[in-house]
Amino acid sequence: MPFGQLLIDGLAMGACYGLFGLAVVIIYKTSEVLNFAAGEMAMFSTFVAFHVLVIYGCPFWLAFIVALVFAAILGVAIEYFFLRPAKNPTLIGLIVITIGAQMLLMGLASWKWGAEQKQFSIPVSYKVTYEPIPGFIISEWAAAVFIVAAVIMTFLYFFFQHTKLGTAMRATQQNKHAAKIMGIKTDRVFAFAWAFSSVIGVTAAMLLSAKTILDPGFMMEPFLRAFAAAVLGGLMSIPGVLIGGFIMGLIENFFGYVWPAWKPITAFVVIVLVLCVRPSGLFAKHYVKKV
Amino acid sequence: MKKVFIGFMIISAVLLTTMLVYAAKPGFDDQEIRIGQWGPQTGPAAPWGSVARGSKLLFDIVNEEGGIHGRKIRYFIRDDQYNPSQTMAGVRDLVDRQGVLAFVGGVGTAPGVAVQRYLQQNKIIWVGVCTGAKSFHVPHNPYLWNMWPAYDDDASVIAKFLVEKKKFKKIGMLYQNDDYGLDSMAGAKIRLKKYNMELVAAVPVEPIERDLTSQVARLKSAGAEAIIGYVAPTQAAIALRNAVSVGFHPQWIHSYNLTDYVLMNTITDGLWAKEGVMTSAFTEDIFANTPLQVKYRAAAKRLAPTERWGIFYAAGIIVAEPLVYALKKVGRNLSTEALKNELDKVTNFQGIGPKLTWRADNHRPPRALRIWQSGPKAEVIVLQDWTENELSTY
Repeated sequence: MPFGQLLIDGLAMGACYGLFGLAVVIIYKTSEVLNFAAGEMAMFSTFVAFHVLVIYGCPFWLAFIVALVFAAILGVAIEYFFLRPAKNPTLIGLIVITIGAQMLLMGLASWKWGAEQKQFSIPVSYKVTYEPIPGFIISEWAAAVFIVAAVIMTFLYFFFQHTKLGTAMRATQQNKHAAKIMGIKTDRVFAFAWAFSSVIGVTAAMLLSAKTILDPGFMMEPFLRAFAAAVLGGLMSIPGVLIGGFIMGLIENFFGYVWPAWKPITAFVVIVLVLCVRPSGLFAKHYVKKV
Repeated sequence: MKKVFIGFMIISAVLLTTMLVYAAKPGFDDQEIRIGQWGPQTGPAAPWGSVARGSKLLFDIVNEEGGIHGRKIRYFIRDDQYNPSQTMAGVRDLVDRQGVLAFVGGVGTAPGVAVQRYLQQNKIIWVGVCTGAKSFHVPHNPYLWNMWPAYDDDASVIAKFLVEKKKFKKIGMLYQNDDYGLDSMAGAKIRLKKYNMELVAAVPVEPIERDLTSQVARLKSAGAEAIIGYVAPTQAAIALRNAVSVGFHPQWIHSYNLTDYVLMNTITDGLWAKEGVMTSAFTEDIFANTPLQVKYRAAAKRLAPTERWGIFYAAGIIVAEPLVYALKKVGRNLSTEALKNELDKVTNFQGIGPKLTWRADNHRPPRALRIWQSGPKAEVIVLQDWTENELSTY
């Protein structure tokens, strides 16, 4: 068994799942809404980067910045135009709205850029590899994924623990009405959470599409994995989501190697087993909301 | 109450009559012949949607040239999103409401299986389902004429080439976990058994999987020198990228469904050409300068300028060519039975696709395939000319 290769590639793909999971969790932590459009928001913003890069011929870093800005605007727009107008919405109602947004974005991307697969390149390549220890091959791409995941995690830790906005977001999640009474502009907090989530999503999507393929459906399967990773780690725990992603990537790779035919379901079976024991996920504290 | 009941009965009778009139549509009239096709115009399999649009090009050319014996072709496309339930809905709409005479093409094994029985029961002509799955050839369906070579024949010819011509001793397989992959694996195994060989590894892939690291690792550790691939373009590209990223460079050889070298080279970042990937093929090179190819490419530029001239688009023309040929042969006295009789008599017909011969009791696809390789500029290099699978058992 090529242990080193499976380990590194599993962790790298797991980091991508973890980052997508973070995009889901940031919105969930603020509003308890599960955003099923997170994958397609990332896909659409990645297409914007592709457009700037390939159609306009701009350098990558400009395309990257444009995509981040666009992703933030897209996140705010979806929150403002789709979720906010809903009158006395239930959580299920809001989730259904995100599913509608998901379909709309996929349709728009197919219409604008076509359904055919596209090549999306970033400055770090999966073709350039290093072997620091025999059997442990690491590509530039995998190294970049680890670095980006570490930077985003560190940033999120300081953001939620040491900034007013981060505290406001946590307060809004725990009790929206109390947060309002305390002077927190909860609408702004929601809009910011959507923007923030969208930016993290597109960062991960650009990394993933550089290793795989860019097309309007390229986020469907990774999003499912990311969602499962988030549930596994705990939807309320940011480090838990990333660790859930790593576990997911490793399970997939090692079990997929030994029993390839069972690969697509192995990870989900493990998740079901874990959730039977710890319903809140591996790393989230069991939290009962008082009414 | 009585008046309401009588009114209800009258409206029901009118609706029923209207439905019967629609249902009784024979698929043509003095002005037009109605033909349909389904295909994924949106959704994850949308790149294959160009097949249905390619058929439109041929019908537009026919109409531009005056139609067939005074009748224009009216062509309907239904977007099924590669979802069998939507395929059935679209097909029922075209058969029951629009009254089509025939279907051409139709991408995908699962969508085709969903409507196969319905079309046969309704005696609807169906030419060129876009899959080589055996369930469309066996048992014989008198209303379905096949063009896509059987996947087991395809894999058998590929395995023979790898062993006899390329002298590979360790052959692995990466296959899609459905009829597409399983039929082909059966063909490859039968062929290898003839040489007292076995696949060193056979690794399944789900059509939506995006991380193929473990599959590639398994093939690499099995020591595969050559890998036969029966997967979709996306998975083929991802597998190739994964292999290169771990320094694994086997000889990749894929099914005829991946002969769009331009697309494949683009989405593999040039690796398709660099690694010299091979495929089987059952058509001429779509960039060849035969008179028909030149005519179609010129028409595509004029009538469908936004379409890319690729193998899937050309496949739409390929499936429609024998139907147009048979419709011309039928003459003015058109009927389902007359068209069926002409299709049953097709002998050595060749457009830009394979050479076709069908008989009343044999609608199976051609068995001959070629082996191509991608050149340095993603151009087609023919490595082996038409070869039949002599081990074919049906």
